[in-house]
Amino acid sequence: MSGEGQGDIIIARGLNKSFPGPVQALADFSVTVRRGEVLVIVGPSGSGKSTFLRCLNGLEEVDSGTIVVDGIPLDENERHRLEIRREVGMVFQSFNLFPHLSVLENISLAQRLVRGKSRARAREFSMELLARVGLRDKAGSYPAELSGGQQQRVAIARALAMMPRVMLFDEATSALDPEMIGEVLDVMRQLADDGMTMVVVTHEMGFAREVSDRILFMEQGRVIEEGTPEQFFNSPVRERTRAFLRQIL
Amino acid sequence: MLRPRRTSLFLDLVLLAFLACLAGFITYRVTVHLDYTWHWGEIPQYILRHDRQDGRWLPNYLLLGLFTTLRLSVWGGLLALAIGLAMALARTGRSLYRQLIARTYVQLLRNLPPLVIIFLFYFFLADQVIPHLELDVRARQAGPAVRSLLSLLLAEPGSISAFLSAVCTLALFEGAYITEILRAGIESVDRGQWEAARALGLRRGQMLRHVILPQAVRRVLPALAGQFISLVKDSSIVSVISIQELTYQGSQLMASTYLTIEVWVTVALMYMLLTYPCSLLVSGLERRLARRT
Repeated sequence: MSGEGQGDIIIARGLNKSFPGPVQALADFSVTVRRGEVLVIVGPSGSGKSTFLRCLNGLEEVDSGTIVVDGIPLDENERHRLEIRREVGMVFQSFNLFPHLSVLENISLAQRLVRGKSRARAREFSMELLARVGLRDKAGSYPAELSGGQQQRVAIARALAMMPRVMLFDEATSALDPEMIGEVLDVMRQLADDGMTMVVVTHEMGFAREVSDRILFMEQGRVIEEGTPEQFFNSPVRERTRAFLRQIL
Repeated sequence: MLRPRRTSLFLDLVLLAFLACLAGFITYRVTVHLDYTWHWGEIPQYILRHDRQDGRWLPNYLLLGLFTTLRLSVWGGLLALAIGLAMALARTGRSLYRQLIARTYVQLLRNLPPLVIIFLFYFFLADQVIPHLELDVRARQAGPAVRSLLSLLLAEPGSISAFLSAVCTLALFEGAYITEILRAGIESVDRGQWEAARALGLRRGQMLRHVILPQAVRRVLPALAGQFISLVKDSSIVSVISIQELTYQGSQLMASTYLTIEVWVTVALMYMLLTYPCSLLVSGLERRLARRT
């Protein structure tokens, strides 16, 4: 197909996915993400944004369509699936830290089990990541002892520990108290500055405007509008986009 | 922690006095109207006996029975846990075939009276399967060190087959309940935990071992412990297939001495000796784990 260069890390073509119910989560949905790009996906709830992210690392199966991540096709082959999950980090709305493990163990677990690192080397890298998200002193704490913002920063560190090529953020700040949103967005912003490829589903329009390279507006499983932040916020083409922006801004 | 309220102290005393009176009345009825003569002095010799030749104290019927009950419970419990874990994983897994096997197992075993299961399995396992292993013969041929180890851990060489049948039967029966307990535990773990583990690239086995089961087991620990205590008590039903555990020894002793009440009170106390520390251990464990989650 045309326009797919070496720089594309995610290529999704013609995705369809429906759940029981009237609305189709993904309807012939296609998108390409370039290496190092920050793609923000916005849209009303139920528009299929999260479903798309969850399909990207195989947490959800598409009904039809193809997904290729970093050259690996996401198909029935369980090996491909595991490989893709190793390359793709995911941050969830509800953090999903492992409550029975300390912060350090949360971050080290997959390094040891999946990457086969020794305990000492995993620990070293985990401490480095904790320093990056500003939580070095919380290594020995348990998730229940942390605030929501701190838990989400640990969750980001946990995903980064796999040294992923792509990071997916599924409404990472939606479950947070307002005063904690900033600290998580700061970490995400820093990650974008470091050149990480990111696909971010969010309602934070400030973040979308400042950090993203491209914004994609979705509704009912389709792309309604797509463009740079300036285009999207200043001169949206579609009436539906304008209506959406009026509602949320 | 809430401080215990002291306001009902008077009522508590009344209740205690009432219970004391009831106990006294029953003792009085038994002694006077049943014309029962208490021989508590006879009981200790059935727990420990003095061997004249050796000049040593050796365990007698009741204590030997207690040891057998303990061995039955430990091996039965471990085996039941293994069966329960395998079946719970099958029930929560993706393979329909395994789900059906596990469901059939649980339905079958839970809907039959334990006594019927005991007879069914005993006559099948003990008659058809285990004798072919010729364990008794092998045990008898083994060296003295192995033999004494076997009698310490399992049973006397001559009764190993019967003992193993009893252990298997108990384990199969209790395993059905443990399956359901573990399944409930696994299903109570939030879906997000599976997803987070999967997103990190863990395999199913790794997810279960490091993420799901530690949380699941922690939640159902009280129920599991309760089931183990049940197993200790349920082990008394294998007395019907002549396993010489505590209840069997009690009934034998009663038949030969007619010390009905003394024997059964002693047996009851000995069961308490096994189960009560288990209860204490579990509540301690629960408190320790509660601090983390």
